[in-house]
Amino acid sequence: MNTQPSWPLDSEDHLAEALREQEATPEEIADLTPALLRLAAWQAPALAAADTNALLAHLLPLLPTVSPVRQAIRARRQSQRGRLAWLLETARAQISILRPSFWLVSAAVIVLGALVVLRAGNPDQTLLLRAIGPFLAYLGTISAFRGGHLRVLEFELACLPSPVQLAIARLVIVLGYDVGLGLLLSLALWAGGVDNFLALTLSWLMPLLLVAGLALCLSLRLSVQTAAAIAYGSWLVLLALDSARTLTGYALLIPIPVAAEVVMGLLGLALLMIALLRMQAAMPRLLPRS
Amino acid sequence: MRERSDETLMAAVMAGDAAALAALVERHHSLLLGYLYRLVGGNRPLAEDLCQETFVHLLKQQSYQIGRPFKPWLYAIATNLSRDHLKSAAVCRALRQTEQAAELLERYDTAPGPEEQALAAEQGQEIAAALALLSEEYRAALLLRFYHGFSLQEIAETLHVPLGTVKSHLSVGTRRLRALLAPVQEGADCR
Repeated sequence: MNTQPSWPLDSEDHLAEALREQEATPEEIADLTPALLRLAAWQAPALAAADTNALLAHLLPLLPTVSPVRQAIRARRQSQRGRLAWLLETARAQISILRPSFWLVSAAVIVLGALVVLRAGNPDQTLLLRAIGPFLAYLGTISAFRGGHLRVLEFELACLPSPVQLAIARLVIVLGYDVGLGLLLSLALWAGGVDNFLALTLSWLMPLLLVAGLALCLSLRLSVQTAAAIAYGSWLVLLALDSARTLTGYALLIPIPVAAEVVMGLLGLALLMIALLRMQAAMPRLLPRS
Repeated sequence: MRERSDETLMAAVMAGDAAALAALVERHHSLLLGYLYRLVGGNRPLAEDLCQETFVHLLKQQSYQIGRPFKPWLYAIATNLSRDHLKSAAVCRALRQTEQAAELLERYDTAPGPEEQALAAEQGQEIAAALALLSEEYRAALLLRFYHGFSLQEIAETLHVPLGTVKSHLSVGTRRLRALLAPVQEGADCR
């Protein structure tokens, strides 16, 4: 038998304290205390160590058997901080698969682009920017999604993030880097004396989105290298044709209205969305056949 | 060495740590059995069954969210299991028990022989009878508050009711208990 009552039945003061906390008036406390103190008279049954051991013997076979990996995943999933850490770790893992050459070549393209555009005459500016922006998309696509050629889908399917989530993470990283570089280019040109910052930015950003969207869509059917080459190549052909037509005064792309540029960018975003949505359905075809 | 918290132990149990389970059971077995014993009106075999079922539930359901206060969660499982059991038992049996408890109280009130009274006081029979007459939600709140020292917030989390409702349950429950114990108390005072 447990002979020592615990708080608040262990003393009149503690009982009064508990009653005050539950908003009893001093009169009520005085009235209730004697009756409540008597509660200590009803003792709970005492337990022997053997009782607890018997219960434990019954419970031990029911203990979950979870692998350390699953335990870590569950622990992370259950905490908000863990979720954020998980997202950051996924992003870090995706950054690590991009080779240093991607970061350096992209940056070098932008520096060279800035130098060439600043040296060239005003009419060629836009044409060069329209060629440089999609080139970054080309580089980004073949770097971030080169795993398709290496048949890594099976590994991705075994990971906690889905392949689509991984693809989104890569797109965000690559496009984020490209757009950041592009903005630096626009700023450099603006500082170099070019007037219209918005027009400059749109002239490389919108084709970049279009080529990235087209490349990713085509990669569902073709290898990533081929898809990116077709997307960028088509764009270059279009640019070349248009630049030839500039001489005759029938150019379509130079100059182009701002609204049309925006439509081009939206089309690129739509293609990116379609590619991501179709990725799940295309998976069985992308898996290696034994 | 600092003692590991219930929450830390439960996280370890979910990962399959047998030592953590042993520590958790040793810490709570006796107290939980006491709670269930009083909640079901002093029926020890039933309390033991429910206690075991509570721990089994704890391991099988795996619904514990890491970081959540462990004690209210454990007692909530126990309370729900006891509630389910009482609901599933025949209503007439419950009524009969209530009638028996009322009879018991009446006997203490009308025929308080000194030896009988002393024995009853020692065994806490009249307390058990008075608590048995309270409805389940008042009884659970009173048990958690006065026998287990739960804070008002912990009671709210255990019984899944707002804090205001806990205060109301405790206020009404203590007054009813006072009224039920009053005849016995007065009888004892007269002698």
